[in-house]
Amino acid sequence: MAAEVSSGTKDPARADKVGADDYLRIVDIRKEFDGFVAVDDTTLSVRQGEIFALLGGSGCGKSTLLRCLGGFEKPTAGKIYLDDQEMNDLPPYERPINMMFQSYALFPHMTVEQNIAFGLKQDGHKRDAIARRVDEMLTIVQMTKFGKRKPHQLSGGQQQRVALARSLAKSPKLLLLDEPMGALDKKLRSQMQLELVNIIEKLGVTCVMVTHDQEEAMTMAHRIALMDSGRIRQVGTPDEIYEQPTSRFAAEFIGSVNMVNGRIEEDMADYVTIRSPKLEHLIHIGHGVSGFEGQEVSFAVRPEKLSIGKTEPTQPHNKAEGIIEDIAYFGSHSVYHVRLANGTKFMANFANMQRWASESLTWNDKVWVSWGENAGVVLTS
Amino acid sequence: MSGRTQRWTSWAILGLGFAFLYVPVLILMVYSFNESRLATVWSGFSFKWYGELLRDKQMLSAAWISIKIAFLTASAAVVLGTMAALVMTRMGKFPGKTLFGALITAPLVMPEVIIGLSILLMFVSLGQMVGLAPKGIASIWIAHVTFTLAFVTVVVSSRLAELDKSLEEAAMDLGANRIKVFFLITLPIIAPALVSGWLLAFTLSLDDVVISSFVAGPNSTTLPMKVFSSVRLGLSPKINALATLMILVVAVAAFIGWWIMHRDEKRRKLDMQMAAKEK
Ligand SMILES: Nc1ncnc2c1ncn2[C@@H]1O[C@H](COP(=O)(O)OP(=O)(O)OP(=O)(O)O)[C@@H](O)[C@H]1O
Ligand SMILES: [Mg+2]
Repeated sequence: MAAEVSSGTKDPARADKVGADDYLRIVDIRKEFDGFVAVDDTTLSVRQGEIFALLGGSGCGKSTLLRCLGGFEKPTAGKIYLDDQEMNDLPPYERPINMMFQSYALFPHMTVEQNIAFGLKQDGHKRDAIARRVDEMLTIVQMTKFGKRKPHQLSGGQQQRVALARSLAKSPKLLLLDEPMGALDKKLRSQMQLELVNIIEKLGVTCVMVTHDQEEAMTMAHRIALMDSGRIRQVGTPDEIYEQPTSRFAAEFIGSVNMVNGRIEEDMADYVTIRSPKLEHLIHIGHGVSGFEGQEVSFAVRPEKLSIGKTEPTQPHNKAEGIIEDIAYFGSHSVYHVRLANGTKFMANFANMQRWASESLTWNDKVWVSWGENAGVVLTS
Repeated sequence: MSGRTQRWTSWAILGLGFAFLYVPVLILMVYSFNESRLATVWSGFSFKWYGELLRDKQMLSAAWISIKIAFLTASAAVVLGTMAALVMTRMGKFPGKTLFGALITAPLVMPEVIIGLSILLMFVSLGQMVGLAPKGIASIWIAHVTFTLAFVTVVVSSRLAELDKSLEEAAMDLGANRIKVFFLITLPIIAPALVSGWLLAFTLSLDDVVISSFVAGPNSTTLPMKVFSSVRLGLSPKINALATLMILVVAVAAFIGWWIMHRDEKRRKLDMQMAAKEK
């Protein structure tokens, strides 16, 4: 799988700004709670200036790993280095790391300004220096009008801005975000996601965030670590994780996918064929894969990579015939659920713009789904 | 039964319940303004007994002692009770935690006679062994702290338990060590609970008879003890007047406690509505 993968940075010019490759190093971190392994021997490196997402389902240990970075949990084993300094034995209040909590954790008895000034005061800065920095932060998060308010006098989105300003005020070497959008409603979410990324990138702070929302990770992060039961399954740019999943778990966790099992029939240097009991025709992959003849593999292909039409494609492979069982309308596109004669189901996306231009497809139509020889990936684990 | 009669019945039951609770108190208050020396015969309205009360030196000094003890008790119980509550809610797991929790709150259900007796025995043996037993006001103070401590601990730890832990973590994250976190974040937020714990301890100490009677010395007669002994010599309307004043004090204290707890909440709700509307 040597396909070219574009850089996942949100801002193309930023790729050069990204500094040291292992600014944050997590080495064999393990965290057990009474014998229950929440984080299992995890090793990760995060680059300077990068937004790095820990993505995974509920209970996979992503928050625990983040709390180890913040110093709120003591790892059972392993080391954490930030900018070549060991963090393990530093208490949270001595780490050059700040965190934005999921609940924001704004101090209810302090005004917005006092909240933002809190960390600076602990460092013993001069009064006017603190006031200037607070103003600066308020400007960055566009909350200058709200400095004198108490947290409960703010809406959810405003509270989030204050929490962000507070965690950035001390210019930490590392910013931690725990489910940053968790407390916002859906509409506000997509707006804040972009805004947060803009602010973080503008300040150039290195950031590790935790989320269970794949879309959020895809939108915000430069790189994503996919976690499952305490382990990292794959690390890569959003593109890589989406286009080149390395495991069935990764393929299924991110986006939707069509997956069929089969055996490698021909294993050549420049192509591979797979025979699946579910498909009448062979699956043909246009490049070599690391496998052997007879190996059990899964073939995964995204719905938007499938073509759908009434006429049989001319190619001898990578196609299947079925009937349209269901059509789900999503505005910009529709998803066609196609059922093959043997019951196997395929999902195919179809942009709705295209739909009006081409033949119209409807329920119970006999159709062919097909895909290109580089459309899918072969998974061995 | 129609909805109307049903509502009528529930009002009647409510009324009866309140009557059961408060009619005796009301009668007492009314009779404190009675002219007559006989506690049960109404002969006219007067403040006479309040005047008598203020001229009763013994009664006044007992009241002063009681207030002093209640003040000291409440203050000490709040400090110790908050410490105990912190241990219970913030120290994580440690061996014997359940036992410790049970022991702290045991005085809530222990008969006062037993508490009084055991503290008396402790003072006596202390006196015999090291010749240094607290006397008078100090002994009552110590005894009162022991039993009010349990109440304060319960009030404060329930507040601490519902306090969002991430507030303290956030403060620590921003560079405050544990001591600073406590004084800058935890304490201001739980302050209303401390105030109501203090008022609770104050009123409990103010009206305790049993425990005080066990440990009091000759010069430390508290107000309830004085009342109790004078009632045994016959009912005097003066006691009614005193009781009315005490009810007033306790009611005011209770009201202040309630008001402090609810003022913040109410204001917060209003502000939250405003913030939501504005958006
Ligand atoms: N303090 C703790 N004591 C015992 N077990 C814990 C503790 N904290 C977390 N765990 C366990 O560790 C596992 C991972 O927890 P963690 O909070 O990291 O999950 P998560 O990936 O953040 O999930 P979610 O998306 O639900 O927040 C869970 O099974 C959880 O029950
Ligand atoms: Mg979590």
